Amino acid sequence: MVGIMNPVSREKLESLSSSVKFAIDLGSKLELCRQLKHDLLEEDAADLSEFLPRIFDLYSDPSGPVRKFATEIIGEIGVKHLEFVPEIAPFLITVLEDATPAVARQSIACSIDLFRHTLEQIAIRGLYSSELDSDLESSWSWMLKLKEKIYSIAFQPGSGGIRLVALKFVEAVILLYTPNPNGSLEPPPNEGTSIEFNITWLRGGHPLLNVGDLSIEASQRLVLLLDQLRFPTVKSLTTSVIVVIINSLSAIAKKRPAYYGRILPVLLSLDPPSFVIKGVHVYGAHHALKNALLSCLKCTHPSAAPWRERILGALKEMKAGGLADLALNQVHKINGSVEEEKDDSLLIKEEKPLTKAYDAAGSNVGRKRSGTEGSSDLAEKDEVSGKRVKATPSVSEESTKELNRNITVSQGDISSTQSSTRKVDVDTGPVQQLVGMFGALVAQGEKAVGSLGILISNISADLLAEVVMANMCNLPPTHPHTDTDDELLEDMCIVGSDTQAKYPPSFLADVISLSSTFPPIASMLNSQQSVPNKIVKTEGEEEVDVVADPNSALAYAGMAHEDENALLATDLPVSSNIVLPGMKIDPPTPSDIHDTGNLESGIPGLDSSFRNDGLSDTQAASSLVSTDIEDASQEQATSFGGKSPLHVRPSISIDRSEELSPKAAVTDSSSMVSSTATSVVSSCPFVLPKMSAPVVNLSEDQKDDVQKLAFVRIVEAYKQIAVAGGSQVRSSLLAYLGVELPSELELQKVLREHILSDYINHEGHELTLRVLYRLFGKAEDESDFLSCTTAASAYETFLLAVAETLRDSFPPSDKSLSKLLGEAPRLPKSVLNLLGCLCSPGISEKAEESQSGDRVTQGLSTVWSLILLRPPIRDVCLKIALQSAVHHLEEVRMKAIRLVANKLYPLQSIAQQIEEFAREMLLSVVNVDATERTGAEGLISESHKDSDLEKSSNEHQSMSSISKDISADVHQSETSHSGSSPSVPEAQRCMSLYFALCTKKHSLFGQIFIIYGSASKEVKQAIHRHIPILVRTMGLSSDLLEIISDPPSGSENLLMQVLQTLTEGTVPSAELIFTIKKLFDSKLKDVEILVPVLPFLPGDEVLLLFPHLVNLPLDKFQAVLTRLLQGSAHSGPVLTPAEVLIAIHGIVPERDGIPLKKVTDACNACFEQRHIFTQQVLAKVERIPLPLLFMRTVLQAIGAFPALVEFIMEILSRLVSKQIWQNPKLWVGFLKCALLTKPQSFSVLLQLPPPQLENALNRTAALKAPLVAHASQQNIRNSLPRSMLAVLGLAPDTQSSSQAQTSQAHTGDTSNSEKDAAVTEKSKESSSAI
Amino acid sequence: MKFRYAMVCSSNQNRSMEAHSLLKKQGFDVSSYGTGAHVKLPGPSLREPNVYEFGTPYKHMFDDLRRKDPELYKRNGILPMLKRNLSVKLAPQRWQDNAADGCFDIVFTFEEKVFDMVLEDLHNRDQVLLKSVLVINLEVKDNHEEAAIGARIALDLCEQIEAVESWEDSIDDIMVSFENKHRRKLLYSISFY
Repeated sequence: MVGIMNPVSREKLESLSSSVKFAIDLGSKLELCRQLKHDLLEEDAADLSEFLPRIFDLYSDPSGPVRKFATEIIGEIGVKHLEFVPEIAPFLITVLEDATPAVARQSIACSIDLFRHTLEQIAIRGLYSSELDSDLESSWSWMLKLKEKIYSIAFQPGSGGIRLVALKFVEAVILLYTPNPNGSLEPPPNEGTSIEFNITWLRGGHPLLNVGDLSIEASQRLVLLLDQLRFPTVKSLTTSVIVVIINSLSAIAKKRPAYYGRILPVLLSLDPPSFVIKGVHVYGAHHALKNALLSCLKCTHPSAAPWRERILGALKEMKAGGLADLALNQVHKINGSVEEEKDDSLLIKEEKPLTKAYDAAGSNVGRKRSGTEGSSDLAEKDEVSGKRVKATPSVSEESTKELNRNITVSQGDISSTQSSTRKVDVDTGPVQQLVGMFGALVAQGEKAVGSLGILISNISADLLAEVVMANMCNLPPTHPHTDTDDELLEDMCIVGSDTQAKYPPSFLADVISLSSTFPPIASMLNSQQSVPNKIVKTEGEEEVDVVADPNSALAYAGMAHEDENALLATDLPVSSNIVLPGMKIDPPTPSDIHDTGNLESGIPGLDSSFRNDGLSDTQAASSLVSTDIEDASQEQATSFGGKSPLHVRPSISIDRSEELSPKAAVTDSSSMVSSTATSVVSSCPFVLPKMSAPVVNLSEDQKDDVQKLAFVRIVEAYKQIAVAGGSQVRSSLLAYLGVELPSELELQKVLREHILSDYINHEGHELTLRVLYRLFGKAEDESDFLSCTTAASAYETFLLAVAETLRDSFPPSDKSLSKLLGEAPRLPKSVLNLLGCLCSPGISEKAEESQSGDRVTQGLSTVWSLILLRPPIRDVCLKIALQSAVHHLEEVRMKAIRLVANKLYPLQSIAQQIEEFAREMLLSVVNVDATERTGAEGLISESHKDSDLEKSSNEHQSMSSISKDISADVHQSETSHSGSSPSVPEAQRCMSLYFALCTKKHSLFGQIFIIYGSASKEVKQAIHRHIPILVRTMGLSSDLLEIISDPPSGSENLLMQVLQTLTEGTVPSAELIFTIKKLFDSKLKDVEILVPVLPFLPGDEVLLLFPHLVNLPLDKFQAVLTRLLQGSAHSGPVLTPAEVLIAIHGIVPERDGIPLKKVTDACNACFEQRHIFTQQVLAKVERIPLPLLFMRTVLQAIGAFPALVEFIMEILSRLVSKQIWQNPKLWVGFLKCALLTKPQSFSVLLQLPPPQLENALNRTAALKAPLVAHASQQNIRNSLPRSMLAVLGLAPDTQSSSQAQTSQAHTGDTSNSEKDAAVTEKSKESSSAI
Repeated sequence: MKFRYAMVCSSNQNRSMEAHSLLKKQGFDVSSYGTGAHVKLPGPSLREPNVYEFGTPYKHMFDDLRRKDPELYKRNGILPMLKRNLSVKLAPQRWQDNAADGCFDIVFTFEEKVFDMVLEDLHNRDQVLLKSVLVINLEVKDNHEEAAIGARIALDLCEQIEAVESWEDSIDDIMVSFENKHRRKLLYSISFY
């Protein structure tokens, strides 16, 4: 065909291919390639032939993905246009060598496609002509070359990842070269229809291909593949290669059953332990082998049959414990069930016989009712029909398909059941054995009572409960009859039946003593006797006779039917036996009749549920048996060897179909029995119209109701058990029932009500725990989401309900709640919340009752015990306690703080976390504060916090996050109500815990000093409130000393309070005094800190400090004064009042830098204490040199003690002799004093030398007149010298003017200086005021 | 990211979605599937599960359950899970019906049963492309906590696989080093598209 290439498209392609070449980044290259591929595949062959080299050219691209893409394009072109094969095949061969594995793999992927198409075309062409054109022949030869090349890769050791694909290629070729038994035998009538190629299309005389040769080659390749898995080659393979080979082989075996016999021996001889290849990873290969074997097991081809036994054996070995067998049994069992049931299988297969039984019963009964005509209804039938179909050589395609469908269904289930069956296997194993043991012992009668007791005492209550439940299905169906016999006996019998099941000896005793009816035991023994039989049968499965035995249904339907038979057999005598004593003992009374009426509603339900159990078990058991039979038949088949399995098979299948009918009959009749049982109740126990009563199918709801009723009855019966004792074991059983029955929620509610109705007498704690453990076990055990989530949810509901009731109905002092929470397997969040509410009332609950305080104690002590007992939830519990420790109610808070500080903080493991939290809270108070006031301060404390956190964050990351959580909560709450800085109570709330910790660990105290500076007024106030108690509790420790020795700036007030507290009432230690002195000397110049220890300092030191002391604010000075004068109790006063006064007067303001005002204030302070600073004291102050303030002191003294005038006069006159006027300041004071003390002072004034007198009078004019008057008195005037009189103006004196002048000058001086003094004083005053 | 990943569990709700969500966040090309017949979510009791068809939007389930019993489904973690899921994709998808989604390079399963089902399904498809696919089973218990752990481990493994040029050549080494690191048993198989 000559096509004219469309210029546009050609151009386009060219530009595309060149742009691919020159595109820069990989992404755009690939995008262009994609476009190119799309366009190319549109083109026809002629155009492409020109273009092909260009595409080959693309392969020279350096990037792997582009090369891979190019290969892919070329491969597709090849498939579409086979005429290019001679060009493309060599290309692909070169690509196989590509350095990039992905490209090489692509080449193989293209090759198989190309190979398949070429083969197909050649095959079909050859069908219609004896000659093929040379092109095709050369294509084929190229393909063969390509194939050989890939083979060499596949079988060449160590060719890496590409080998996996090459091996797959080998598999594909083998499949192509061999006839597909399921494929179409004829080629499609017209080319192009998509029927899978089958080599059987080839007939003899094909010019190129010979079926025989091809299959020889295929089997050679197969041998090569198999050889790979043989020892020792297998040792050198990687796991991935082994996995691929195993998968390929199993695929070949499945698709080409002819090879089954060659492949399986190799697979079977692959020894799993030898899979430790190069010491690595064997699971993959192991698992692949297992799957391969399982899939081979599914093969229904006749050639597969002989291998079944061996495969089963191998699988058994691989799964170590016959799991394969079980899984297979499951397969067969489920095989028959309808597909929807698949989902239920998980439910069914849980290790609870009753549940299982019940569920199975639901579906099985239903199925039975619906009739057995459906081919998939019964496992056996299906199997059989399938087998029969297989055996016949003329296989109709439809039936095979159907069969396949069935089988796939069942296979899907194999895997789905594996996980659960495993469990079942583990759990029911010992249980079944125990059931057998019990059965055997009971069968021996009373002599075995002792050994039974021993057996029972040696197994756990939980296991015993399982044994009881497992044995439930062995109970005779007539047992409930006893209930109807008489009303009195009814409960006894239930009690008895429980005991009997698990406690045979006590049952014997019970029943004998209670009702003195032996027949029930007989019936029980009967039923028990069937148990050992059953066990024997199950264990010796092989013994089950396959040969048709008309003797009884037993042989066909297996032990379950035997069981039924036993039941049937015992049925009549037992019921009559029971009825008789019942008659004898208790003649019907009116009440009895009434009760039977009641029972009519209850007991039928009970009965039918029992019946259902029995039935379902029958069903399960029979299916088991049937598979056993099948196995056995298999064995038989194999034992017949190659002879003719086909021959045996039909006969077996006949047997089976016979099997079915008697079984159906048996089950039917037995269900009739059950229904008669129910009907009997209502009518009359004597009449047993077995054959007439219909079987009633209950709806799901009805079943639930019935189950619930039954359970309620059991629970009621348990209330009486309490008296009988042994409830330990029994509670296990009750828990089992409550949890495992399908309508679990309802029952759990009933159980809960039972527990809570009388927690103590009903062994509520034990029972609750058992229920919880069961639920917990389910939640943990179940691997599937559904059941574990449901169980977890049920667990939570149960625990929460019990815990709430315990909290609400028991007094706070009761320990039940604590005990329950301590022992429950897991505490879900909701329960912890409950605990949290208990410890921190008001968090979520509305109103608290009056006894909330006690409740808090209860909660806290529970938390404490949980912290001690349950390390995994320690953090959460601690969080609860801490939350409570910052509670807004002080009562709650203090309780929690006591717990945390006294009990929890000493625990090494959590101390750090507690500390962290407390610090967090402490800082929160300051930080809220700081951020609102100044950012800078906040930053400082923040950074401090960070460093603190860093210290501990490594070990206690979790805790710090917890504390952050809480503190964040707290922050929110507090910002919500206060807005700005926290109030005093709020600050206390946050800080109390920290203070409490400080008493335990003194070094923590330092933090308070650090935050103090930046704290708000309220916070400081809160701190100050705490300090006295805190410090007194702490006492002086080295830690505290250290803190004191270096207090952070801003904490002076706090330090003062601490020191005060420390020195209050006790003698401070030398270290303390030393530390304080050192602090005063070095860092803190404030003398205030010395005040608390002043009484304990030596007097001379105090005197040295005195100027500083005087410089204190007045109130503080007064306090100092008191301290000094009182001293300590031990050492007496430090200074005498006189010493104090002298010290005050010894201060020189200029020298000491103390404002004069301060000194005067100090003096004032002294004189206020008149009883201390007495006359005598004052007298001692007068010495030389005169203190600056002396006159002032004198003046004050006069004010204070008017009686002192005489004494003062003495002083004044002494001052005159000391030439007081020399000191201008004192002189002023002297004159003031004189003025104040006139007229007594006149005599002193007159002692002054005349110039001084003149000066004095000039200054204090007020003095002059009275003095003159005084001097004018004759006796005085006479004693005065003339000069004096002249000054007084009493004698005319010429010199007086000059005197006056000098004195004027003099006084001018003094007045000046006086003014100065006043000024400086004033300025000092003002400065001190500032 | 050079490989395409699929995360598979039974209902395409918990384990596969946890992993899907995580890998998606890390930028992987990932899808997720379930192999079960239906999507089953826990109900008030074991016998009353909530059953949906694959393809039912997570949003629908979310609304449905929230309507039924918000308390219960919040407490057992179903609502939060659905909420997470609906942020990842529209609806649960079934593995067996995913042929149209193209070839995956790596398939993760979280349960042996699912692993087997995926393999079986792959074996039942026409293996014509000869494109290899690595199926890895990482056993993860089907609850919320374990799913989260499992997803992280799966991510770790995916990262290691991404790091090599072709997993075919180095898968054994990756598996060994992974098992040594996480002390978890892995199961893998190789299949083809």
